[in-house]
Amino acid sequence: MIRLGFTESEKDSEITRYCKENQIRKVFILSHGTSQLPCSFAGHEHIEYSQVIQYKYYYRLLQEIDDSSLIVVNECLRTQNRNDLTYNCIRNYLNQTRHRIVFQYLPIIDTLDDFMILFDLDTRSRWKRDKWRESMRGEIDIVSKRIDVRLDRIYVETDNQTRVAYQREKKRIISGIGLRDPHTIPRNLHLISGKAKLRVVESSRQYVGRNNRFKIPSMHTFKDDSFPDICTIFEYCHNFISFEDFLAKSGQSNIPVLVTDLKVDEWYHERYVALSKRIRDAYTAIHG
Amino acid sequence: MLTQRYTGKTVLVAARERMSFLFDEFEHIIVSISGGKDSTALAHLALVEANRRRRKIGLYFLDEEVTYQSSADQVERLMSMFPENITKIWLQIEFNLTNSTSLSEGQLICWESGKHKLWMRPKKEWTIHHAPWDTETQTVRNKSKGFGFYDAIENFERCYHGAAFLVGLRAAGESPNRWRAVTKNPVNVNGKTVYWGTKKGDNFALYPLYDWNFHDVWRYIHDEGIPYSKIYDMQFKKGYPITEMRVSSLIHERAFKSIVDLPEFEPKTYNRLQKRIQGIALAQESGKSGKLFACRKLPKNFTSWITYRDFLLDTHLDHERKHIFVNRFARQLNNEYVARQQCRQLILNDYENNLSVDSSPDPRDELIRYYDEVL
Repeated sequence: MIRLGFTESEKDSEITRYCKENQIRKVFILSHGTSQLPCSFAGHEHIEYSQVIQYKYYYRLLQEIDDSSLIVVNECLRTQNRNDLTYNCIRNYLNQTRHRIVFQYLPIIDTLDDFMILFDLDTRSRWKRDKWRESMRGEIDIVSKRIDVRLDRIYVETDNQTRVAYQREKKRIISGIGLRDPHTIPRNLHLISGKAKLRVVESSRQYVGRNNRFKIPSMHTFKDDSFPDICTIFEYCHNFISFEDFLAKSGQSNIPVLVTDLKVDEWYHERYVALSKRIRDAYTAIHG
Repeated sequence: MLTQRYTGKTVLVAARERMSFLFDEFEHIIVSISGGKDSTALAHLALVEANRRRRKIGLYFLDEEVTYQSSADQVERLMSMFPENITKIWLQIEFNLTNSTSLSEGQLICWESGKHKLWMRPKKEWTIHHAPWDTETQTVRNKSKGFGFYDAIENFERCYHGAAFLVGLRAAGESPNRWRAVTKNPVNVNGKTVYWGTKKGDNFALYPLYDWNFHDVWRYIHDEGIPYSKIYDMQFKKGYPITEMRVSSLIHERAFKSIVDLPEFEPKTYNRLQKRIQGIALAQESGKSGKLFACRKLPKNFTSWITYRDFLLDTHLDHERKHIFVNRFARQLNNEYVARQQCRQLILNDYENNLSVDSSPDPRDELIRYYDEVL
């Protein structure tokens, strides 16, 4: 079964309930991240996402997992490649038992196709290669706590000097791009908008940014393990997965965002507004 | 291009009908096998029909020597499946194979005479040890490359007249190019148009499984309980994607990655292979890394793929074949995207142009232009 948007305590009670109902003897929790999912069921083992593919776990787990085991796949949607080695290994573990719970905070990384990775895990890859269609709804037991992501823009005006510097930097980056990844262009330009936002930073607010290069005491980074209740996005990260990790860890869904009038900031903001719409559309597609 | 439409019958029923048609129309039927899943399913389908009609068909295997032991075992299993209906045609003859793992030994002469102590496995007593055609008049596609795998196939096929060579080539679920290649030249078989074959001289190459997908093949193998190469099980357990599950030659430019897991899958085969030909240890260590064979990462001491390509050309060890690359590259675009693919051809010694180069504008340029406009 698939459970979307559950908190850690909700996950724990779901595992406990399932174990009681199905006489489970051992729980294997495959999780991404350093912090382990709290589990009150006594016989459980944590396997970190990066360990899933390692021989020392792979062959042992294939032997140990049987039909009295429950496999919990916790927040393992880490790549959009449906044939990724880690997913294949997880599916091989899942072939050993009927009991599985797939927890994920959001249903997608970027597109609805990502949901099919969760679907594959829950259905023994019956429709591997296929895209989502309505008729598949009946094949899965899915419960979603919808996360409605809303991004509230806080407008930050830049001065003429910053805009000139921005154009100069843009020319410099593009002319010197060489063999480097073209995605470094928006990433590097984004740094300039960061400087422009400094003057509106309030000491009473908590912020999240790509890094803490400005040494702001209330600044968190997207890679932190925990966040305060309300965080303002100082600047977006380039990678959707980091942003979605932040949503899952902070539990925030209405998020204020500092956005300057520089084109790169507008571009990032539109990109994430479009993502939040795709997330809403994904819930509609999955549940109707 | 021939469009694909669903009909009311399964691909298995359609393949059995095709098989029945072939047995009606052809006196000589030869099934090409490799030990892989597709040819296993095809051979079984043909043998069942041959057994029903009490006829004999040829099972033809051109042994490349440097294959998995499991593939050779699988061929032997297939050849012993319906003994009364099979003519065994297992060729263990000398021909050249490209060795993509080494430039200093760019070619392997399979079953080279005088090197029998180094062969991957001894020749079997009952296999064909000498070319069954007139070697004086045999044809060679490209003399600078020597007598190769496809030359051996062509010359063998010319030993027959009006025969049907069945090949387990599948077009469904593969690239549109494959589909087009299979269906673009329909052949006329005694007044009937057949879209799943091509005419080859006096003979026909026919693909009865052309509309099968990979899961149709596995379903058939499972339902019929046919033994198959155990390498597939090991590759599945290791999480190989479907497209990379191959059991063919271990050293050509598309298969060298198999060497990475060979010590684990078949340690004895790996030991023999190391003694047989150069470059194996290097391929085993770096076959799946992006830095060497795959050419995904530019070596540190080069500033561009173009300079790296020029360096590889200048220092190319195989002087006889260097001009093949020079002439080919002169006809292609000169940008970073194309140069990277050319580097891969040079590193893998792909003078046969099997890893075709997409000579088109660099897609990075388009992305940079996009960022220039929107940012």
